[in-house]
Amino acid sequence: MHPSTHAYEHGTDQLLRPLLLSLADDDFMLGYRDSEWTGIAPMLEEDIAMSSVSQDEIGHARALYEISVEMGRRATSDEEYGGSPKTIAREVDALAYGREKTEYHSSWLAEHHRGDWAFTIARRYLYETADEVRLEALSGSACTPLANVLTKVRREERYHTMHLRTWLDRLAASPAARPRLLAALHSLWPDALGFWEELEGEDSLVASGAMPLSSEAMRERWLTRITAELEEHGISGPDAGLTPRTGGRRGERSPGFEEFWAEVTQVYRLHPGATW
Amino acid sequence: MDMHVYEVFQQQKEGGALVHSGNIQAPDDRLAIHYARELYGRRGESVRLWVIPRDHVLELTDPDLLKPPFDRSYRSVEGYRLRDKLASVRAAREGS
Repeated sequence: MHPSTHAYEHGTDQLLRPLLLSLADDDFMLGYRDSEWTGIAPMLEEDIAMSSVSQDEIGHARALYEISVEMGRRATSDEEYGGSPKTIAREVDALAYGREKTEYHSSWLAEHHRGDWAFTIARRYLYETADEVRLEALSGSACTPLANVLTKVRREERYHTMHLRTWLDRLAASPAARPRLLAALHSLWPDALGFWEELEGEDSLVASGAMPLSSEAMRERWLTRITAELEEHGISGPDAGLTPRTGGRRGERSPGFEEFWAEVTQVYRLHPGATW
Repeated sequence: MDMHVYEVFQQQKEGGALVHSGNIQAPDDRLAIHYARELYGRRGESVRLWVIPRDHVLELTDPDLLKPPFDRSYRSVEGYRLRDKLASVRAAREGS
């Protein structure tokens, strides 16, 4: 089966689910985590910028959840697709807020608490550069609804990576911030490598063309790129042989997730299925 | 952090005038561009932004240069009371 021609047939939605949800859940978690800077970022303008970037991520997550919802509906219904925007929004909410914790596919890198500003920038840098490689590869996906959405997402992400690189340059050059930045990068490398954990059903995803590159191939591309970039700042990449911290793509949640999740879903759980 | 003030000018459509829309603070030029975009361009309301360090703005406030002491209304179009003339011509034409 080839997702480009049979994107909505039985089975394809199940095959694509881990791919769509890993993308969406990452953006969702990170969007929430970094939105926690709203009101307390280092300066007013950055407060607005960071809040806006975080909202963008949540918007990307929504667009990706919508694809998953749409595919699920088409695959399980013989009727012509005709969900009202309200129905779709409810199903997207259920997907975003209503799953069991073990049903999420997010990477631990995206789930961590924002930490201090250096940690936020370090995590965000690792995430955005990895996401850049991932989106670049997946915009050639044989799953056309995904490829189409990612083309739009990439236009916004271009700005996010510009913003992040500006901050990385600043912190790396600042005597006060540099040690914090290095410490944060050091603590995050295993999670950054774990970001590329093999997805459920990845062999089929690659064989069908839904993933033009395997997670491993993308990881190599990303490592080459950021190692060269960090070298310009005199910062070394991850130690060879460092063990990636994995599990996120297969339902294992990071430490601290429980508390975070209780907060994120607090309102949703008051009345699941409500239309906001 | 050493912050600088930047004045932001916004063009709403191609060919339109760049209108002063406000100012921002940023520690350097690169972040100034980001913040200008966030405050004055993220909702599709601009096609072009000019972001100008306030230090680079040349200011003129001298009243001797800006508020000349003599009556110069004769130099301006209003000095000729053209509006009244036009109105009377128009009224005459409509009357005929």
